[in-house]
Amino acid sequence: MITPKNVIDLLKKDDEKTIRKLYDENKKGFLIFANRYHLDAEDVLDIYQDAVIALIENAKKGKIDDLQSSVSTYLFGIGKFMVFQKLKKEKKTFSKDDFSNLEYVDEGYNEDENNIQVILLQHAFNKLGDQCRKVLQLFYYEEKNLDEIQKILEYSNKDVLKSQKSRCLKQLKDLTKEN
Amino acid sequence: MEKYSYIEKYFEGNLSPDEELIFEKLLLEDSDFAEAFEYEKNVKKAISLNERAALKQKLKTFEKSKKSYKWLSVAASFAILIGMYTLTTLFDTNYDSLYKEYYQTYPNTVSPTVRGETTDDIKSNAFYAYDSGNYKEAIPLFSEIYTKDGDDYALFYKALSLMEIKEYQEALRNLNLHDYTKENTFTPFFRWYAALTNLKLKNTEKTKQLLKVLTQTDNPQKEAAARLLSELE
Repeated sequence: MITPKNVIDLLKKDDEKTIRKLYDENKKGFLIFANRYHLDAEDVLDIYQDAVIALIENAKKGKIDDLQSSVSTYLFGIGKFMVFQKLKKEKKTFSKDDFSNLEYVDEGYNEDENNIQVILLQHAFNKLGDQCRKVLQLFYYEEKNLDEIQKILEYSNKDVLKSQKSRCLKQLKDLTKEN
Repeated sequence: MEKYSYIEKYFEGNLSPDEELIFEKLLLEDSDFAEAFEYEKNVKKAISLNERAALKQKLKTFEKSKKSYKWLSVAASFAILIGMYTLTTLFDTNYDSLYKEYYQTYPNTVSPTVRGETTDDIKSNAFYAYDSGNYKEAIPLFSEIYTKDGDDYALFYKALSLMEIKEYQEALRNLNLHDYTKENTFTPFFRWYAALTNLKLKNTEKTKQLLKVLTQTDNPQKEAAARLLSELE
């Protein structure tokens, strides 16, 4: 049987089939909902995709391991929240009741506000070695603590991992200075 | 505790309330510390943006693969439209050029071209007229022979003479008088010229049908039929 837990576990592994199924199954309903607000069709699709991304991100971060609702309901909640933000940003009128009980808190980074260091880091990150990418990705993106990472990447002890992380951070910084 | 461990604990979400106070204080008072923290925040942001961009790309391919089906059907209907356009308009002129390209006056393979000694020698006179390019003169002569003897060659050269003077409808009517079930030496040529006449009259389907028959058996027009057929398809 497919339980929310199964789905979440598969999302953590970036399972393409699961992502695609979830994406396809919930899209129509979301578009119908969002179309009430007279948003641009392209924007709505963009929001939907961002919602799916946020869902996967939160799954990886372990934030929805104890999800009580279905994954679809949760995804819809994120999408709703993002529509709400969009409407606020575009200063459109909407009924506040439509957006009550929003639980999701967005950790959105406004790409317009990105400083030059972030952009340099984005490029530099791809030039890092595999191991460094794994360590940093697990620590900063998936928000795993060092104990968890030690287990996942099979480090003999935490101090080795710690110094590895420091080295990777320094290497990354050096790479941003190369250009 | 070493001061940079506070940053590590912050990202792990492990700072105790007391540690949080120290952390805040360090941020305010220690510029190196503040800078290190800022850097790691940017690292987190950069990795997140990369991950999101990659995922976004993937989701967009979901849309694209769906769209491509749509696009294919649009492309297909366009192809049909273009095809119809080509057939109805472009080929108006192309039929003619194809016809010209493929049509050749069929040589007289039947009778030596010497004027008949007597006016009775219709056959000689017919071919003499044909070979001299006096098709209008040749037609009634071949017609007479055909009515009298029912010879295939007479019908054939009559039809060809009609084609030469651009009487295509009449030419086709005569070509169709041939008994195609006989399959004699003239039959492939009847088919070939019937195909060309139909081409000239824009009966492309009929043309293709005749050409297809020609490509299916060994005959002198097989190759030419295949070439013309491929140009029509």
